[in-house]
Amino acid sequence: MTAAGGTDHPMTAPGGPEVWDERAEEWLTAGAEGPEDQAALADPLDRPRPPRAGADPVKALMHRHHDLCARAVDPLEIAAGLEAHGITDRTAARFRHRDVFSLAEEMYARVPRDGDAPDDPAPVAPPRVRADWVLLTLLPGALGTATLAAVRLTHGQTRLIAAAVGALAVLLALRAALSRGPLSTAHTTRPTATWTGWLLGYALLGDGLLRAALTGGPDTLPGGGAEGSWPLTTAPLLALALSCAPAAWCAHLLAVRARRTLSSSRALADFATSVQPLLLAAFAAYVGALAALTAATAAALDEPAAYPATLTLGALLFLARLLTVHGFTHAPALVLTATAAAEATALASVFGARLPGCAWLAAPTRALADAWGPAAVPVLACGAAALALLLHASRTLTRASAHAAGEDRW
Amino acid sequence: MRIGLIAEGGYPYVSGDARLWCDRLVRGLGQHEFDIYALSRSERQEDEGWVPLPPQVSRVRTASLWTAEDDGVVYGRRARRRFEEHYGALAAVLCVGGDRGADGATEPPSTLQADRFGNALYGLAELARDEGGLAGALRSETAVRTLERACRARDAMRTAREARVPDLLAVAAHLERALRPLSLDWYEDDGLGAADLSHATSGGTAALTGLLARHFCDVPLLLTEYGVRLRTQYLAGTGAPPAVRALLAGFHGALAAEAYDRAAVITPGNAHARRWQERCGADRSRLRTVYPGMDASRFAEVGEASSCADPDTLVWVGRVEPAKDLVSLLHAFAEVRKEEPKTRLRIVGAPAGPEGEAYLGHCRALAAQLFPDEADGPHTVGENPVSFEEIGGPQLPSLADAYASGAVTVLSSVVEGFPVGLVEAMLCGRATVSTDVGAVVEVIGGTGLVVPPRNPRALAEACVTLLRDPERRERLGAAARARALELFTVEQNVAAFHGIYLDVVAGTPVRRVVLDDAGAPLPFGVPAEAHVPGHWTSNRPQGGPEPTAPAQAPGLPTPEGAR
Repeated sequence: MTAAGGTDHPMTAPGGPEVWDERAEEWLTAGAEGPEDQAALADPLDRPRPPRAGADPVKALMHRHHDLCARAVDPLEIAAGLEAHGITDRTAARFRHRDVFSLAEEMYARVPRDGDAPDDPAPVAPPRVRADWVLLTLLPGALGTATLAAVRLTHGQTRLIAAAVGALAVLLALRAALSRGPLSTAHTTRPTATWTGWLLGYALLGDGLLRAALTGGPDTLPGGGAEGSWPLTTAPLLALALSCAPAAWCAHLLAVRARRTLSSSRALADFATSVQPLLLAAFAAYVGALAALTAATAAALDEPAAYPATLTLGALLFLARLLTVHGFTHAPALVLTATAAAEATALASVFGARLPGCAWLAAPTRALADAWGPAAVPVLACGAAALALLLHASRTLTRASAHAAGEDRW
Repeated sequence: MRIGLIAEGGYPYVSGDARLWCDRLVRGLGQHEFDIYALSRSERQEDEGWVPLPPQVSRVRTASLWTAEDDGVVYGRRARRRFEEHYGALAAVLCVGGDRGADGATEPPSTLQADRFGNALYGLAELARDEGGLAGALRSETAVRTLERACRARDAMRTAREARVPDLLAVAAHLERALRPLSLDWYEDDGLGAADLSHATSGGTAALTGLLARHFCDVPLLLTEYGVRLRTQYLAGTGAPPAVRALLAGFHGALAAEAYDRAAVITPGNAHARRWQERCGADRSRLRTVYPGMDASRFAEVGEASSCADPDTLVWVGRVEPAKDLVSLLHAFAEVRKEEPKTRLRIVGAPAGPEGEAYLGHCRALAAQLFPDEADGPHTVGENPVSFEEIGGPQLPSLADAYASGAVTVLSSVVEGFPVGLVEAMLCGRATVSTDVGAVVEVIGGTGLVVPPRNPRALAEACVTLLRDPERRERLGAAARARALELFTVEQNVAAFHGIYLDVVAGTPVRRVVLDDAGAPLPFGVPAEAHVPGHWTSNRPQGGPEPTAPAQAPGLPTPEGAR
């Protein structure tokens, strides 16, 4: 062996790989693959000398770096990979190449490329079901039931306190339920949250207030059950609180199926056509679940089941949340504001009609209430809004980009 | 001179990449003014804060690459058409790539393609400047659809045609991140436009920022790359589907080509980076290799002292990781011991990450297997001829002591970029034996022995040669130290950049046309002193006239009118 011995001419001349003797070829053709190949590195001295590579040393090199060559999208990728395995220009000279780049080009050109399509890509990991959001979405319904029970069982001041504490608890639970899981969002929800609060408040107090206002009231404060002049309608609210869980599940299923469709789609148009039925199915499932809950709560609370009002409001809120979750915050905010404004206008017009000379103001609301009852106002407002949002969602939520940014937030 | 220093994920953040180098550069060139434009990579980086800044840094502007601010601008029809046109052109360039036909030959990206890429890039930047809202548009369905159309085009390459919807989304998301500098408001006369020179400290995003400054404000661009961004992209993206890799490689390749084409001077950090840059289309006449500088004063004492090292000790210093191939070193050491039984080996370094920990354990076990403990006599406690140590212990308080403790420094890596440890050993005046990887040959020149990697026997023979020949050791050590002091000190690095700054600015015509009150151009409105280095109005002897506009950058008249 003559390694560097005897002379002060270390084998360093950059352009002079010929200074190397057969040892260079020896380690090139030896079995060691990469720095990670510790098994081969562990015993380099006792390795038997491999037979000389045949007439085609590049073939051996390609065999060793088979994965690299197979997956490379251009020669530079092979060059980068070879360099990461310690191959330098001087090594490339052993293969009769000027530098690593031209060696990589030969390797890239020689990789057999049959025209068949690549393997199916690994499916995008779907969001997982986690216990925290599953339990949290049950919380508003549970607390709402408890509050109503407390309100029913108590009297006087205790009842007020129970109602206040219960309402606060349900609000906090709702917030918590929406902060995790498939209904959580990183986008700002300030205007949406405000108008959602207003819509829920109207569902609780609005019908009673409108009826009282149309008949010259209200003379008392709200409350006092169904027999007072300003009754509360609690059954729809309880149904909505309970429907947090099905809403989260529907959103979750939509996300999972959409993600699966995403990874199997070849074109954006394909994706849109296959997601549209998914979206409608999720929406229908939620509305169905809400209808069942409405029937159940009405029976339990002994109130008439207000299907139209509950279902339209629930559908509106569900769609608004779904759009917000997928990053479309503008339309829900706009539509919710418009709905709240419509309801407020109906109420205000009735009170405004009491001013002298303004009786005509109340005419449309009165006509509506006479025809279908005071619940017609929120049903019309929410129904129109939900329809608008459904049309909007069927256009926007079928876009691939809407389902892209959902990196595991939950 | 006023220099806009553009750093991505680096200076002045505490955890920045090239922070040390930039800090030395800025401190070393106190006669210039520096404006720092920093792009931060993560929230953690921003929270960790900045390094203390010297007074020549007149201001720091930051932007984050990790948050996506949406300014809420929704494009109207005309703006959207403009966006689609430019984004489509950009996507088309990526999809065509440096298209290799069935023959597999790479053609360098044609001038036409490069022009299309540049035009699309600047078109998008102008759109962002005129209308805003580019971040939202890049995330929108319009962008994904445009990308899809480009991928399905007839002249698109095969991998691009096979792109699926998730691939398109991944590419669109990556492009959105990579094009974030387009939405910044730095390219005005009070930003990078006020600089005489913009210095991008890395390729990729920082270079893109410099390109935009050049496009909008005609500021010459100096591009420094210690690691080639395109190569990093290839190595980092190995897990992604082929279509994503192909399109992103196309983007970074085109961006690099554009940056190399427009930069006034490109300074690679070593010959390896230089080769990549030449490969990506950099003009050889504008390439100047500037080696990274190292602080030589730490090693001065050891380097200048007459050799007092143990003549039988080999030292290896570095971060312990598999790429360093310590196993090979241990086998080589076994060979050395056959020839020179008294030799000892000190392995100095901390493991890098969990992988390094495991590797260190593996090496310790191997050393214990190969070399039994030895004692001087029957009544003393033996110890292993191979010792694993870390800097900071009582025996090795500093890095210089580690190098000083051995007669020969060994480097056994199979993969190496710029070998910092080797330069340190050279500064300490040690004879070295290293493997021929990365920039080793370029660094060592003729002042040490070089053997092929993964060849323990050759490594052993080289070590034995040096161990037996103290005179040659000394000769090589002295030569190594002289070479390192000549090439790899901070001073040479700073001086080189100083020269390049002056060079670049001297070759740049006056950009600002100063108008007089009537609106006519004012000849000689920008005096030659505008480019005199340093604060020529301050630091003058007592009694001189007061500088007229102390708040303003010296010699920079308020730009008026057309540039």
